[in-house]
Amino acid sequence: MLYKVLEKNGYRDFVKSLISGFEFIGPVKKDRAVHDFKVIKDFKELDTAYIRTTIPPAKKILFPPDEELVCYEIGENIDVKPVVESGEKILFAINAWDINGMNFLDRVFTTDFIDDNYKAKRDKLIVIGMDTEPAETNFSPSVGAEFATGGFDLYMHDIGDRYFIRVATARGDGLLKRYAVVKDAERNDFKEYDRYMDNYRGRFKLDVDIKSFYDDFEVIYDKKEFWENAAKDCYSCGSCNLVCPTCFCFNVKDDMELNLKKGEKTREWDSCMIPDYGLVAGGHNFRPTKENRLKQRYRCKLKTFKEKYDRYACVGCGRCIEACLANINIAEDINSVKKEVSA
Amino acid sequence: MIMDIKEKETAGSSIYVPEIATILKIEEMSQTEKLFDIRLDDQKKQEKFCFLPGQFVELTIFGLGEAPFSIPSSPGNRDFFQLCIRDTGNVSGAIHRMKAGDKIGIRGPFGKGYFPYERMKGKDVIIVAGGLGLAPVMSLIKTILEDRDSYKRLVIIYGATDPSNILFRKDIEDWKKRDDIELGLTVDNPDSAWQENVGVCTNLIPGINCTEDAYAVVCGPPVMYKFVVSEFEKKCIKPENIFLSLERRMECGVGKCNHCHVGNKLSCVDGPVFSLWEIRNLKEAI
Repeated sequence: MLYKVLEKNGYRDFVKSLISGFEFIGPVKKDRAVHDFKVIKDFKELDTAYIRTTIPPAKKILFPPDEELVCYEIGENIDVKPVVESGEKILFAINAWDINGMNFLDRVFTTDFIDDNYKAKRDKLIVIGMDTEPAETNFSPSVGAEFATGGFDLYMHDIGDRYFIRVATARGDGLLKRYAVVKDAERNDFKEYDRYMDNYRGRFKLDVDIKSFYDDFEVIYDKKEFWENAAKDCYSCGSCNLVCPTCFCFNVKDDMELNLKKGEKTREWDSCMIPDYGLVAGGHNFRPTKENRLKQRYRCKLKTFKEKYDRYACVGCGRCIEACLANINIAEDINSVKKEVSA
Repeated sequence: MIMDIKEKETAGSSIYVPEIATILKIEEMSQTEKLFDIRLDDQKKQEKFCFLPGQFVELTIFGLGEAPFSIPSSPGNRDFFQLCIRDTGNVSGAIHRMKAGDKIGIRGPFGKGYFPYERMKGKDVIIVAGGLGLAPVMSLIKTILEDRDSYKRLVIIYGATDPSNILFRKDIEDWKKRDDIELGLTVDNPDSAWQENVGVCTNLIPGINCTEDAYAVVCGPPVMYKFVVSEFEKKCIKPENIFLSLERRMECGVGKCNHCHVGNKLSCVDGPVFSLWEIRNLKEAI
């Protein structure tokens, strides 16, 4: 990690050169409450002072909702080819918890087997991080995701009249050398940065008591009334999965063109809250009720990957809380598990 | 930047690309099940296609879809491998309509959890299968029979709904003739010609004599596991020596799509074979 400082008056030129030199994806204001990450051609479109984006940016870019994986042609022989698309892109002003969401996806898609389709996109994605204001539903510090230690090329912290930049890769260093005028951070810059971070951390208001969830969950697991109550209003719509930066469930399907000569394998996002998620051929459903499915979602988010990678599959962004039509609230449910067990 | 990256030798590849394979032979096993002999078209890859008992492959019917199936043939057979498939879904229905010579796609073999046949050597082995659950344990049975002297007693209990649904009849006829296999057959709905047991597999377990260090294996429809396992436990077989093949919905086979979670484990990469000890506290497992 290198530490650099960029004066505010050099910011506009730096970003403008990135916009003209690369496919540049950054936050754009969509309406009063929500921003969206889009390809930006003009500096004026960029609005880094965002609080909410509905769909996490990394998920859209690295793991699109509908993605071709393999194509084939059926003639005398069957010719099968991988479809691995990757072009260099800059993802600009993604915040710490969404970077951590992306880092989580990295683990999933590169553990046991390397998912080439994901990795090719990830390797070509230049990530420039920036802090944003946490929404009131955000509990990132409780799950250790409010600060990113890696997974980006540059991270720019706005410490007043200048940006304190953490440089994590040679690629990021190269961008600064080529497109910006920066200097090495000095003692005083660190002091400002330290003060800035204290203030930043203090702006997260929602606290979730998650430390003993790992074991408490097992005690609560069989408590029927608890889960019936937690899931009673669930519509099984899957909105929570759709907006989640770490949800990665997908289906693989084969499709043919009408001439029956060319076909493709694609993956499309799936949702563990939808009734047919655990349905197998022959009609058996491993998770037939919404209580089963909510329990599985919480287990997956808060236990499974804690065990596998020592990290939660939840970055505390709060999107699922806002997206839920039935007001199911993961933060409240975690706290309720704690209360229920310790009562 | 990305953690856990092992550089791959080939660029531009994808774990979702299936190998082209040909159906060599189709044998009708019952009204709903057929046995397919399959060989990968790339001869070098077929020669290298080695699997362990309990592992599975992802079968692609081009243009239609993909589904997981365990391999019932002997791992020692490198000329071809077999899949025993019930006509019940999209992919399985499609392969039932295919004929010898038709092309399919194969990915795999997959699964880190397999039946630990090495550890079973020198011990009694009890295998309980229900219905199509005989398919995943067939490769274990074949492995044991190819090296029969290394194992102590071999008990096979197989249950089907009715006599016409009994699979792998030729193998079962051979087993009946051998004096080194204790075979128990049972059906739920006997016909007039049926001379074996009637009822669920579980009924036959109390009659088995086995040592406490025996190994036990179970595979069958989801409802069966709990009952069979409790009978094994009455025999004082250790939970770490009881193995279950747990099959779930799978889309990818390589630990990405997340559908096949059994508690904190994934059936495709951590299983599909688990020891009872591993899963005994995973509430959804059995």
